[in-house]
Amino acid sequence: MTEIYPSLAQCAVVAAALKILLFPAYKSTDFEVHRNWLAITNSLPLWGWYYEKSSEWTLDYPPFFAYFEWIMSQVAKLVDPAMLKVYNLEYDSWQTIYFQRFTVIVTELLLVYALQMFVDSSHGASKRAAQAAAISILLSPGLLIIDHIHFQYNGAMYGLLIASLVLARKNSTLLWSGLLFAALLCMKHIYLYLAPAYFVFLLRAYCLSPKSVFRIQFLNCVKLGAGIAAIFGTAFGPFALKGQIPQIFSRLFPFSRGLCHAYWAPNVWAMYSFVDRVLIILAPRLGLAVKEEALQSVTRGLVGDTSFAILPDVTPRVCFALTLFFQAIPLLKLFAQPTWDNFIGAVTLCGYASFLFGWHVHEKAVLLVIIPFSLIALRDRRYLGAFRPLAVAGHVSLFPLLFTPAEFPIKTVYTVFWLILFLMAFDRLAPASSRARFFLFDRFSTLYITVSIPLIVYCSLVHGVAFGKSYEFLPLMFTSSYSAIGVVGSWVGFVVVYFTS
Amino acid sequence: MAKPSPSPHKPRRKAKQAAHATSSLRNASAVEAMVRAPAFPLAAFLWPARGTVSQWELLPLILMAVGLFRWAAGLWGYSGFEKPPMFGDYEAQRHWMEITTQLPVSQWYFHDLQWWGLDYPPLTAYHSWLCGKIGSLIDPSWFALFSSRGSHDPTLKIFMRATVVVSEYLVYIPAVVVFARRYSRLNGVANWSAAVALVAILMQPATILIDHVHFQYNTVMLGLVVASMSSILAGRNLWAAVFFVAALGFKQMALYYAFSVFAYLLGSCVFPRINLPRLITIAAVTAVSFAILILPIVIGTLSDVRRGIDSRPDIDGPRPPMPLFQGLADHLDTEAFYYPVVEQLVQMVHRIFPFARGLFEDKVANFWCALNVVVKLKKYPTELLQRGALIATLASIVPPNLVLFFRPRRELLPLAFASTAWGFFLFSYQVHEKSVLLPLMPMTLLLAGSHGLNKTTRAWVGFANILGCWTMFPLLQRVDLAMPYVVLTLLWAYLLGLPPTSLSVYFQEGGNSWTQWATLFIHGSFYLAMAFWHVLERSLQPPPDKPDLWVVANVGVGAAGFALCYLWCLGRLVTQSEILPRSWFGTKEKAKTQ
Repeated sequence: MTEIYPSLAQCAVVAAALKILLFPAYKSTDFEVHRNWLAITNSLPLWGWYYEKSSEWTLDYPPFFAYFEWIMSQVAKLVDPAMLKVYNLEYDSWQTIYFQRFTVIVTELLLVYALQMFVDSSHGASKRAAQAAAISILLSPGLLIIDHIHFQYNGAMYGLLIASLVLARKNSTLLWSGLLFAALLCMKHIYLYLAPAYFVFLLRAYCLSPKSVFRIQFLNCVKLGAGIAAIFGTAFGPFALKGQIPQIFSRLFPFSRGLCHAYWAPNVWAMYSFVDRVLIILAPRLGLAVKEEALQSVTRGLVGDTSFAILPDVTPRVCFALTLFFQAIPLLKLFAQPTWDNFIGAVTLCGYASFLFGWHVHEKAVLLVIIPFSLIALRDRRYLGAFRPLAVAGHVSLFPLLFTPAEFPIKTVYTVFWLILFLMAFDRLAPASSRARFFLFDRFSTLYITVSIPLIVYCSLVHGVAFGKSYEFLPLMFTSSYSAIGVVGSWVGFVVVYFTS
Repeated sequence: MAKPSPSPHKPRRKAKQAAHATSSLRNASAVEAMVRAPAFPLAAFLWPARGTVSQWELLPLILMAVGLFRWAAGLWGYSGFEKPPMFGDYEAQRHWMEITTQLPVSQWYFHDLQWWGLDYPPLTAYHSWLCGKIGSLIDPSWFALFSSRGSHDPTLKIFMRATVVVSEYLVYIPAVVVFARRYSRLNGVANWSAAVALVAILMQPATILIDHVHFQYNTVMLGLVVASMSSILAGRNLWAAVFFVAALGFKQMALYYAFSVFAYLLGSCVFPRINLPRLITIAAVTAVSFAILILPIVIGTLSDVRRGIDSRPDIDGPRPPMPLFQGLADHLDTEAFYYPVVEQLVQMVHRIFPFARGLFEDKVANFWCALNVVVKLKKYPTELLQRGALIATLASIVPPNLVLFFRPRRELLPLAFASTAWGFFLFSYQVHEKSVLLPLMPMTLLLAGSHGLNKTTRAWVGFANILGCWTMFPLLQRVDLAMPYVVLTLLWAYLLGLPPTSLSVYFQEGGNSWTQWATLFIHGSFYLAMAFWHVLERSLQPPPDKPDLWVVANVGVGAAGFALCYLWCLGRLVTQSEILPRSWFGTKEKAKTQ
């Protein structure tokens, strides 16, 4: 069987139809953020880009993304010049909406192309599985919710990431994989979280000889070094000339933000906060000291910074150390056995570590784990077992991003549709593993997935009927604690699979 | 850990292979489908589901997917959005929820007729009442008397959209699912093909555009008609009568199909032998259904009279005479207890059948409107036009219904329904452009029938649907709904491999090349005309002395195309019914039926 149906292009066409129909849907402030960046890059000289602050949504992505906005603004000029005025805050004529939403759909073609590369790079029996995984990424509810409703350009970014991951599959294109990733870093710096895996893999597989760790391939080192330098030079060079690098870095890395985002991303710190909340109730009985100033924040749950009433506070330094530590462990194995499967596993685990332990993690960052994981989730049933709770938890945790009633059916029905379709399809496609499965892990994952149904029903319907507008933090807290259990569980499961395969 | 839990996938795998083998043995056409590549994108999407996937896994996914498209389309504007003073269909439906929940029953058909007075049959009124009651629980201001007129509260919009979706999922969708299953089994079509046809039917752009975007509840009526058809398929003629009465009671447009239902039911009582008891029970059940349908109105009127509530509180002094059947009033005692009921029912009929209006309301792609371009019909007396319309309609609907009467076979139902509805649409009095949904529905159901997904059927069903959407474009364009029109129509054309996305339906190996080229030529010229019309309409203003030029051109092309669809349905009905002797057909026709 040479062709597998449906093809990626067919899925892309139908998905595009749905995405166009979603044009009038809710859009978050990110829409205004990107409109503002179009305006900044179009109407200001290069040197003013990172200093402009008429809007509170200042440019805080690396220069390649700014260049990307500049290119789009050349087309935007023809559509509606008014959207390119920096002072035109909150401007959203229908032309602007059509234009910006269209650019998301059009730039997502990069993702389609990269996924086709991925399918083409798989051979034999795994090709069907690769096609299913590729379609699952293309139709991912995460991308639909974040890009096409909430508004961002993740589709294009993940397209570059997947292209780079696929290029790493063949030795002849390893260099391009590294360079493409460098370019991606200059577009969106969140991918720095995955950089350690790239560093170790390129070092071992490209810069050092495959036969011995002590033999350095100098020519390769020079090619890679020069290429990366050229890319970073193109991105940051113009700004470095004017000494604007510190300003850019203060925009890119705003360390003044809190540990948890407004809404807790489902990570370790969400569980930590949840335990803290529970301890507040138990504190009088256990005789624990309660920090009074934290209580104000505790009862709200919607405010920006959360501080802890009972448990010790967490500093960025601790987060950073934990993240690095949990990234380093899988990298040791990658260094010892630099295969492509191990590389993807290591990228996934780097994503996991940074998502679970990072400082001020946004729930959208869960795609950083789901998307690389999807590429290897169908290797065998053990991988799939670890992937399943992540797929459920990761997508359910995105629900609070959309809170308007008109989008409620879209996000829930689409996500449930995706989960049923792909978990069913994956179940048929994943081959049996030669190794024993872990004790009871599958049962836990089934139980976990089942719990999601009453949870969604409670958070979206029952809570509103029972409590109205009060205790608004409860559904959010349940959602993120539930999702955190799933993400942590799947992480533990995947670590075991990674080290035992 | 020594004994790992038994792997659940292994037996499943075996079962899968077993099922695979039996299904391919059972159905030769399924084997054929196994080896070939999908002929059009929709088949490609369901390709992995061939043979092995149970329909209980497939059906929920299909229903979710089509639901997503419906809801997403509903995010766009509706008819009359922020278009005072009268707003549009959305306001009409909302207003009916307002009057049915706020006023006594006897005033429903009399209340302020200038502002979207209720002019649908009672089931719509009851449906509006139910929706209005539920909506008032959420926010009573949505349906407050008078003050809620023209409301465009965004939450109200979500509620109204939800009522359309829920009504459709309770009526139309179950009916179509059951129909597709029964009809495909009747025709010996594989389950997988039936699933493909089901998606195609449910993604039909015209119904989504009119109900979920422009706003109406046509699918409830269409669903009741489909339920009636599928009852006939199951041999339950009495239920067919009940469902059909319900359809008529929801929207009088269902009359388009009435002749076919009548012809089939009567035919089934006469052929192969006369079955008088059957005829009597069908007639009795129909009468009882009608009685139950109007019973709430009758009881409501009587109780209002007893409580001293006037049905027309706006009128002081003597009551005006009944709008219709004035002769009847002379024989009735206006003081009798039953008089208010008679008056109420006459008023209802008067509201539902507006005989006093013109031959056609707006520009609609039927025969009269097209003829009006050539001959100005306004100069003829109304009576002559009415009679002309009646004769032309009868002339067009008698042939298909005679066929159905003499050959009351279940496979013929969609074709007979479609040709009758096309006849009505083309020639009858007071047609609205949205009425094209009525002939489109049974014609689209053909996809679930024998050879429903082959190229000839797909080409014609697709042609009718795309032309139908195109004739509704002016209606949609008026309320800025061009985008959902483009997306949904092109998506459907793409899924079924139709022009403008693909020409593959016109080229078939081993078919009659002469017929193929003729079809391609005819359809191709229509598709080109439609595309050219869109370009013109987009880029050029019509000349000032003919402001309606584009709409008139649309109507002319549409009417011609629909006439072809009528002829195709009728021709196919005649050939499939084998009512004419074989020798009448040339070799060409024989080749076509094979």
